[in-house]
Amino acid sequence: MRRRRVDPAAGARAGALPEAIAALSRSLPSGPRPEIFRRAKFDRPEATSALWQLLFRVLSPLPAGNALASIALEVQARLVKSALCSQGYPRLALAQLPEDGSQGSRELLLALSWLLARGPVPEQMLAQTRVPLGDEMTVCQCEALASLVPPAPHMEAEGPVDVRHVQWLMGKLRFRWRQLVSSQQEQCALLSKIHLYTRGCHSDQNLGHLSVTEAEMLRDPEGGQKLLRTLERESRRLEAVLAWRRAEPVFWQWMDTVLGTCAPEAPAAASQPTFLPWVPECGDGELELVVRELQTLEEELREAVERRRVAWEAKARGCGRGPEWSAARRASRETVEKELGALQRCWEQESGPAPAHGPHRLVRREDGAAGDRDLRAAELIRTLRSQEACLEAVLRQLQGQCRQELARLAGALPGLIWILPPGR
Amino acid sequence: MSIVTVQLGQCGNQIGFEVFDALLSDSHSSQGLCCKRENEAYQASCKERFFSEEENGVPIARAVLVDMEPKVINQTLSKAAQSGRWKYGQHACFCQKQGSGNNWAYGYSVHGPRHEESIMNLIRKEVEKCDSVSGFFIIMSMAGGTGSGIGAFVTQNLQDQYSNSLKMNQIIWPYGTGEVIVQNYNSILTLSHLYRSSDALLVHENDAVHKICAKLMNIKQISFSDINQVLAHQLGSVFQPTYSAESSFHYRRNPLGIDWHVRPPLSGPPSLSKMSLNKDLHFNTSIANLVILRGKDVQSADVEGFKDPALYTSWLPVNAFNVWKTQRAFSKYEKSAVLVSNSQFLVKPLDMIVGKAWNMFASKAYIHQYTKFGIEEEDFLDSFTSLEQVVASYCNL
Repeated sequence: MRRRRVDPAAGARAGALPEAIAALSRSLPSGPRPEIFRRAKFDRPEATSALWQLLFRVLSPLPAGNALASIALEVQARLVKSALCSQGYPRLALAQLPEDGSQGSRELLLALSWLLARGPVPEQMLAQTRVPLGDEMTVCQCEALASLVPPAPHMEAEGPVDVRHVQWLMGKLRFRWRQLVSSQQEQCALLSKIHLYTRGCHSDQNLGHLSVTEAEMLRDPEGGQKLLRTLERESRRLEAVLAWRRAEPVFWQWMDTVLGTCAPEAPAAASQPTFLPWVPECGDGELELVVRELQTLEEELREAVERRRVAWEAKARGCGRGPEWSAARRASRETVEKELGALQRCWEQESGPAPAHGPHRLVRREDGAAGDRDLRAAELIRTLRSQEACLEAVLRQLQGQCRQELARLAGALPGLIWILPPGR
Repeated sequence: MSIVTVQLGQCGNQIGFEVFDALLSDSHSSQGLCCKRENEAYQASCKERFFSEEENGVPIARAVLVDMEPKVINQTLSKAAQSGRWKYGQHACFCQKQGSGNNWAYGYSVHGPRHEESIMNLIRKEVEKCDSVSGFFIIMSMAGGTGSGIGAFVTQNLQDQYSNSLKMNQIIWPYGTGEVIVQNYNSILTLSHLYRSSDALLVHENDAVHKICAKLMNIKQISFSDINQVLAHQLGSVFQPTYSAESSFHYRRNPLGIDWHVRPPLSGPPSLSKMSLNKDLHFNTSIANLVILRGKDVQSADVEGFKDPALYTSWLPVNAFNVWKTQRAFSKYEKSAVLVSNSQFLVKPLDMIVGKAWNMFASKAYIHQYTKFGIEEEDFLDSFTSLEQVVASYCNL
């Protein structure tokens, strides 16, 4: 882990460190008491479970809720380990920590600071839990793609699966999908009504009408009070984040001392094989044996791959030069390029400037006066429609390929009549 | 969440009227056996689903009426208006001057495309009046000419234009000894087309309902009106608001939220007392069952018998059994129960119809009436194939 360069003068003020740690603790959701951080520096066991939970909260993509609270500590610990490993956390000591929260608080503290150094964690957490005042929707697909759900335990299929059961499940899935779509349509219709009816009610001329949250506030004053309290909480978190950013250098100075108290890590060899976070409990000696065995295996595989590659190249060189071979290769390359080009053109055709990321507030306007940074619904719809058309074309093509394959299989067994189910 | 009803043909329109009537009169019934707040929630939920409000307070049914001749539609409109309690929308109907002579092909290939735009416009207007549409409820007969041919066409259109909405078709299974010679052809064509575009087929057999009228209700001269009223009672007790297990604090928002995978036949009459289980255990395997209980003592009702795994298929790991309950009594019955079942119950009748249709087809009887309007022999063969697949899938449950 690299050591940060910090301004030594910043740490000179007395009491600066407790302030910094307190700010950090306030800026994180369910942040542990500042005491925990101090205990963790000295690797005290009582600080461990709080830090596991904090790391889980930071690394878990799901929004906070009762569901999260009920996950056992061992499961949280395991998920934290795998998430850190997949993000490239360099210290091996973390993977070897026991998951029952009995020790390792200093290691966890190091992991937390590694995450804090990599990206704006408090700001990201704040963005996750922000309270939207307007009716919002996202345009880009980033959020959907970025949410990595923790991998479900691998389901072993017990024997052959009855295809009727699969059909049944498909039917249920399709049914739920259509229910979702019609619920969304209902929501859109109702939003439209609210926006229409509350025209002229908003103090901000640019917006012109109320959103659902704002209308609710007017209707239900008690709910409005609750919203106010939530906003105040959010505001306090934001202030804490700002305080944290100001006091940050002190924290990093202190973390350097924490790193100093750790035993030096074994130098990470470039050729060391990657470890899975789940390491069975065994003595150090056995672990070294396993490491050595894996290294030998890796060497052997590398040699085998080399041999195979040389052999293939020799073979390919022979037949890779004939005129039909190069013609075939040219033809297939051209087809691929054409397909790729068509797909790219399709996507870029109507999009114009790429829409901004993140959620946008829905505003209904009578006239066509939209600001420069505003996105027009009509344009977005056009873009989405053209993307949909592209994807449908790809789907049809793939379906056609499947059909051809089925026909080929059907033709392979003469005397057997295949009756395909009524298409839908 | 609202449902838009499409009433097709003589059958669809007459039944549709009875259904709306039953729903509204139950909603206004004074013997709900529950507290005032509960009753009001019930009424509000029922109203939002099936009716829209007008200025003078008379609820207007969310329905589109379609028929090729004006007689039945006019009767239906006037009966509704006469009741004074509700009515149909003024411009909610579409009719022509001529019939289609029980010719499915004429209905599907000629009437359908010719009047597609007008009919879909009417439906669209109805949809726009709703805050949110949970789905469409299409009432039609299976074996007639107008209702069935146009019904199949309209359902297909709804599938294309409103692919995200649920569609449930209420179809009337004809009498085994029906009067229309080509009813079996019409039936298989209707079923195979609906199977592709509808989400759920709720089936009422004329024979079964007839038996209810005769045996349970002791009606001597059974008219279509009696049959339709029984039907409406059954449908009403399915569609009125209920609580399901997940959301026990407010009425289910989506009444069409039934997890059908393949089409569900309706079995079991509504009983006047608690449902008693006297089924032979291996008689009928179900994919899914839904029991709806209304009235007194619903919380303590014992539905364990429905959860017996022997009643269900082996490839469903968890029983697909749901119970919906409400304390609010339905239509003055102190207690009532309805069973909606997706099971092998209709395999035999379906097989019979397919068999009869096939026999006729083998001798090419009456085929020219269909080929004249664009339904070729290939279409018949496709229909037979689909239905044989359905029968086979159900037999292999």
